[in-house]
Amino acid sequence: MNKHPFILSTLLFGCAFLPMRAEETKTVVDSIVAASFDTTLDEVVVTALGIGKERKSLGYSVTDLSSDDLNTSGTTSITNAIQGKVSGVDIRPSSGSPGASAQIVIRGARSFSDSNRPLYVIDGMPVAANPDYSTGNSTRGADLSDRSIDFNPDDIESISFLKGQAASALYGIRASNGVVIITTKRAHKKAEKPTITFSTNLAGVMLSRNFHPQEIYSQGTNINTYNPNATTNWGPKISDLPDNPTYGGNSQGHSGLYYNPKLEQAGLDPWIAPRIYDNIGDFFNRGFTENTTLSITQALDKATYSFSINNSYQSGVVPTTDMNRWNVKGLVDWKLSRDWKTGFSANYSSTTIHSAPGANSAIVNTVYQAPAEYDLKGIPNHVPSDPTTQISYRPTVYDNPYWWAENNMYYQHTNRGFGNAYLEYAIRFGSDYNMSLRVREQAGLDVYTTSDSDVLEVGSAGSGGGSISNYGVTKNIFNNLFTINYNALFGRDFDFDAMIGSEIEDRRSQWRSYTGTNFNFYGMPTIGNATVYTSREYESRGRTVGFFGSLSLGWREMLFLNATGRADVVSSMPRDHRTFFYPSVSLAWVFTELPGLRGNGILDYGKLRISFAEVGQGGSYKDNYMVVPTYSGGMYTYSPILYPVDGISSYVPYQQVYDPNLRPQNTREIEAGFDLDFFNHRLKLGYTISYQDVKGQIFSVPTAGSTGYRYMMTNAGRIHTLSNEIEIQGTILRGSDYQLNIGMNFSTLDNKVKELAPGVESIMLGGFTSPQIRAEEGHTYPCIYGTAFQRTENGELLLTNGLPTSTAGSVCIAECTPDLISGFNLNGKWRMIGLSATLSWQNGGKMYHGTNMTMNYSGVTKESIPWHEGTFIAEGIDAATGERNTVEVDRQKYYQAYYAITESGVYDMSFLKFRDISLTWDLPQVGNFHFQVFAFARDVLVWAKMPNFDPESSQGNGNMGGYFERFSMPATTSIGGGFKVVF
Amino acid sequence: MKKRYLRGILGSAFLACMMLGATGCSESVMDEINKNTSNPPVNSVDGRFQLTNAIMSMAFTTYGGLYSWTAASYTEQIFGDGGSQMMYAELRDPLVTAAPTTFNNEWNNTYHNLLNIAQMIAKCENGVNAGQEDLEGMGRVLRVMGFSALTLLHGDIPYSEALRDYIRNPKLDKQEDIYADLLKEIDLAITCLENAKEKGSANVGVQDILFQGDVGKWLGFAYAVKSRLLLDGSLRYPGNYTLALQSAEAALDNGFAGAELSIFNGVDADNSWAAYFRSRHYSGACATVACLMEERQDPRLPIYAADLFETGVLYAPAGDAAMAESIDNVGGPLWLKNEAATIHLFSEASLRFIIAECKARLGQDFQNDFREGVKASIADYVKSAGNANVGIDDPEAYISSLGTVGLKEVMIQKYLSQSRDEQIETYNDLRRLIAGGENYVTLQNPNNTDNGQNRWPYCLPYGNSDVVSNPNVAAAFGSGNSAGYYIFTIPLWIFSN
Repeated sequence: MNKHPFILSTLLFGCAFLPMRAEETKTVVDSIVAASFDTTLDEVVVTALGIGKERKSLGYSVTDLSSDDLNTSGTTSITNAIQGKVSGVDIRPSSGSPGASAQIVIRGARSFSDSNRPLYVIDGMPVAANPDYSTGNSTRGADLSDRSIDFNPDDIESISFLKGQAASALYGIRASNGVVIITTKRAHKKAEKPTITFSTNLAGVMLSRNFHPQEIYSQGTNINTYNPNATTNWGPKISDLPDNPTYGGNSQGHSGLYYNPKLEQAGLDPWIAPRIYDNIGDFFNRGFTENTTLSITQALDKATYSFSINNSYQSGVVPTTDMNRWNVKGLVDWKLSRDWKTGFSANYSSTTIHSAPGANSAIVNTVYQAPAEYDLKGIPNHVPSDPTTQISYRPTVYDNPYWWAENNMYYQHTNRGFGNAYLEYAIRFGSDYNMSLRVREQAGLDVYTTSDSDVLEVGSAGSGGGSISNYGVTKNIFNNLFTINYNALFGRDFDFDAMIGSEIEDRRSQWRSYTGTNFNFYGMPTIGNATVYTSREYESRGRTVGFFGSLSLGWREMLFLNATGRADVVSSMPRDHRTFFYPSVSLAWVFTELPGLRGNGILDYGKLRISFAEVGQGGSYKDNYMVVPTYSGGMYTYSPILYPVDGISSYVPYQQVYDPNLRPQNTREIEAGFDLDFFNHRLKLGYTISYQDVKGQIFSVPTAGSTGYRYMMTNAGRIHTLSNEIEIQGTILRGSDYQLNIGMNFSTLDNKVKELAPGVESIMLGGFTSPQIRAEEGHTYPCIYGTAFQRTENGELLLTNGLPTSTAGSVCIAECTPDLISGFNLNGKWRMIGLSATLSWQNGGKMYHGTNMTMNYSGVTKESIPWHEGTFIAEGIDAATGERNTVEVDRQKYYQAYYAITESGVYDMSFLKFRDISLTWDLPQVGNFHFQVFAFARDVLVWAKMPNFDPESSQGNGNMGGYFERFSMPATTSIGGGFKVVF
Repeated sequence: MKKRYLRGILGSAFLACMMLGATGCSESVMDEINKNTSNPPVNSVDGRFQLTNAIMSMAFTTYGGLYSWTAASYTEQIFGDGGSQMMYAELRDPLVTAAPTTFNNEWNNTYHNLLNIAQMIAKCENGVNAGQEDLEGMGRVLRVMGFSALTLLHGDIPYSEALRDYIRNPKLDKQEDIYADLLKEIDLAITCLENAKEKGSANVGVQDILFQGDVGKWLGFAYAVKSRLLLDGSLRYPGNYTLALQSAEAALDNGFAGAELSIFNGVDADNSWAAYFRSRHYSGACATVACLMEERQDPRLPIYAADLFETGVLYAPAGDAAMAESIDNVGGPLWLKNEAATIHLFSEASLRFIIAECKARLGQDFQNDFREGVKASIADYVKSAGNANVGIDDPEAYISSLGTVGLKEVMIQKYLSQSRDEQIETYNDLRRLIAGGENYVTLQNPNNTDNGQNRWPYCLPYGNSDVVSNPNVAAAFGSGNSAGYYIFTIPLWIFSN
């Protein structure tokens, strides 16, 4: 008997979500090693609603990481810090830009169009982590952060990932995408003096992969035509430009020179000698990252407290992009008496981000595509007397990136406060104090205001008169959680736990948008200087009330049965369809407790686990309503009609119709697996298989336009997901002053769209007319959808006049989901030196890479070099005759025809990347001072199957994220070092 | 004692919590929380507020948007360039011309507008606008405008089951049936407007951005729409020439002088062609029009083919690949740079040419109608240039120089006139004339055939939303390599014999 008193004390003294450690480690390096591998079977892990449970009693898989498992140096993002560490969790960063959004999905998507991000719970309270603004189809504008960017990764003491439905069922309707439970740092060991920690790290940031364009051929439409306005680089050889009949100087009295009218436009001598410029190297900066934290913690007789302040700053590789964040945290636990306890946690963050646009309002494409003979940096970006008339090597459908950096801005700012306070009453009673009871009331707030601004100066591409859009949201989320826990030990064999409780979440949001266009004059891009204004405001409220309970029964440390149930009532569903009940049941069998297996010397510990659960997701229902119409998108790069027009406004039906019979969608999951420890726990193996059946998905079903609507909010669609997760940990070497541990995790995922709404073949998640990212019936989720090559039945290209031919309609041309996501971790220690590394390997998976495709089409890539000159007869079948092709075509024409078809833009995403490598050195202790210095590197791309670019750069902060790239902000690598002082 | 104390605490806490939860989630409380406080429910909004955008969307999106920009390439009234989607249209590449994605926005937006109009009409029949026949008549005219655009561009379309809440897969109706129904609908519109005119109804006011609530003008417009619809069906129903002529004359009798949306101001409302040009330099002047103008020493030529990019290239031969690939090279009409230019739902010139054609076919004298048409067109061209102030000193001299003309010149002048912004009507006319074996305007684009296969679209492909979400439309669109290629092989019912 065991560990019950430990659990009991955990419950009694309010550390339900504080996994206590047996002893404090002496050095930071020690703790790195210890954190990963001193996990004993009696360890308490944090489960739903912060309930601490013995790991061995769990009938489902929970992965937890300690602060030392996370490498937070050189990054400002919590999602970066956990990449490669956890099986079954797919993290797709949008880029390496400061404050870039990241998609995090646990065991595959459950929703087509709504968020698939997990619920974040910090210090016992759910907090908002989704992006407030979607990037929509992600074809214009800049990336918009998700709200997990407000959390300081350096504050984290531990993270638990509740991946399956059984693990998260107690959180009810919000938790079907899994739960990330974060416990922040606090003091555990009673001490006379406070512990003060100061740490800082600095890093240089650079492109993770440099694109090297061809430097042989000039700007132009074909090998005979130099054209200083062309959008392609198929022109004559740069070295031959002085001989050009139109622009060459050899025949015009400027021997060895050629004429570029852009120089004349800039007031410079237009006759120049051919020369090669490194436009890409010139444009991208060396970025910089700084993270500094000062914290003070102490555990006293009756109270513990923890305060910290942190600043994170990052400047990006693209000029003017940066992020600056301040975090302040205070946390107090106070034991009022033997039975009563109270405390609070309060967090403040202020996050400011300057980002840059991608896709159709991108700037990096103009950098990548700049002809090698054009000095993009050196030639002024506007005419001398008029800053609103840009000069670029190509027509200014896209901004000159230097002009953009000097004039335009995408700005995001969020002020946020969140925290909670609790009061707890806990007693032990019974004949021999074999029972305990805990009553806990916790109330919390998550309040923030986001103020964003998109500023386009006079002269911007697509918005000649300039525009400013100030928009934002104020959110106020109240959460109240009340629980009663009862625990009893009956004799030596039975351990019984029961819990009931309720939760209320109340949400209020105020959205606003103020837009001004057509500035009076250049130099003051403010609302006040605009000549046309529009404003929009929108308020919404929501409430979820949940009632829940759980029962657990343990028998002889061998069998553990747990059942939970939760009923949720949600405001955002139609009347009489608001209440749902979700059950879960799990069973764990520690078979090594069988008499024949106990203490066998090889297999120290073996557990089989199985669970079943249902969790739902609510929808967003409204009575059908009307809106003021807007005009934008399609061919328009701005809003040509802004109501009220001349004082007259209008209303039209909203483009979405709501199904009054909306029901909650339902995810059923069966999970099974085993955990095995061998050789005195030096080798640990965990395996989990889970099958999810997501039915009655609620989403905006795209409808036939002939219905008059674009979408119908209804139940439709079904996804099956089969996932396999393997986690291996091993201690390779262990001695008195050295240790070497490795960890590996592997995840595979097969999530197939089994059904969509009747008649709906596929639904769009984002993208252009072609390509798009879609969910398509019969394919894994999501897929790339666009025009394909016309082919014969045996796959040969069908050619028209010797050139590839496209299908008229779009089809699914590739499935995005990777075959395997894996991570390899290494932790080593030798005396005072510590080494840790995390390697991510993704095998397979497809993405649309518009930059590679467009650069090929435009003759910019090195791959295009053999295609600039000459003719050939392509392999394929002539579409008209059905015979083998005999038509000889220009190589350039063929290459361009090939890269005009979307299928040519599909690339394999496989890559191998060091997420982090860090080397630490604990200096000898001086007085009370512990010093540690460290060096690290992050996101070092070792290999990628895709040419030219890092596959971890894409458009979109929603479900399409990670799979659709077009002139997106690039991925980065950072290298740096820092130190930590503890006293 | 302790137990009782404990039970008390627990009991009251639990009870308080449950009661708090229960009262906080009753249906009425949840209804109140979920109430949409920022947007009005459908049934409470006066239909006249819907009329405003019904007109705007019909002009800006359906008749002034991508349908007309692309049809303009097919009719060779505008040259598609800029290495863009319009280049592919100019090169008659099925990648664009047969793709359901090409016209998806216009398809969806036109149907959405028709839903708006249907709600408006329903409110006049039995709702907040009950008995308002002026509003109902306006709605019905616009409904005919919208559906006639869709069926004449796409052929058989969802009609009888379209726009019904919760019918997600509307069936396709035969164009013949739709055509018959639209003629009934326009008669219904005329009846409503005549009643309203008689009663002196004035329910709409400034929300009518087309005619400011002038029911008489709407009545003239309704007759004009009817005449055009009748003429469109004249291959199938030769008796329509007489009926179309009667309707056109009734339009003039009611003071029809064009249905021209003039709300655009370059500030908060831009002309669709100018907005498109401001966003994308994908359209320029085409030699087919320019040469016809040059042959006639037409004073409209400097307006139609201006040197917009100062390259000296005023226009491009239809289908010229190098020109189509070039950017900011080919000049174009001055109205592309006039955000305040008007948009026609129906120009006066078009009606005059309809009368001229009908009279010509009926053996009546049409010379004066023809001249009135050219005169109206010239005035429209001059106005369209906006601040460019390109005056035409003596339009009468030009008109006189044309002399006494035949039907061919009527159709050529209608073609030149509609090059302004009525290319959809030209596309209808050309298909009707070609099917009837008449070749008044010779199309020059060499890409209209490819290895002996027709690549000049007889109609436009369906919108992608229906192709992927409505099995009835998906079946009509086809699948595999030949999906969408029906547009090159099967003429529409109305434009075939």
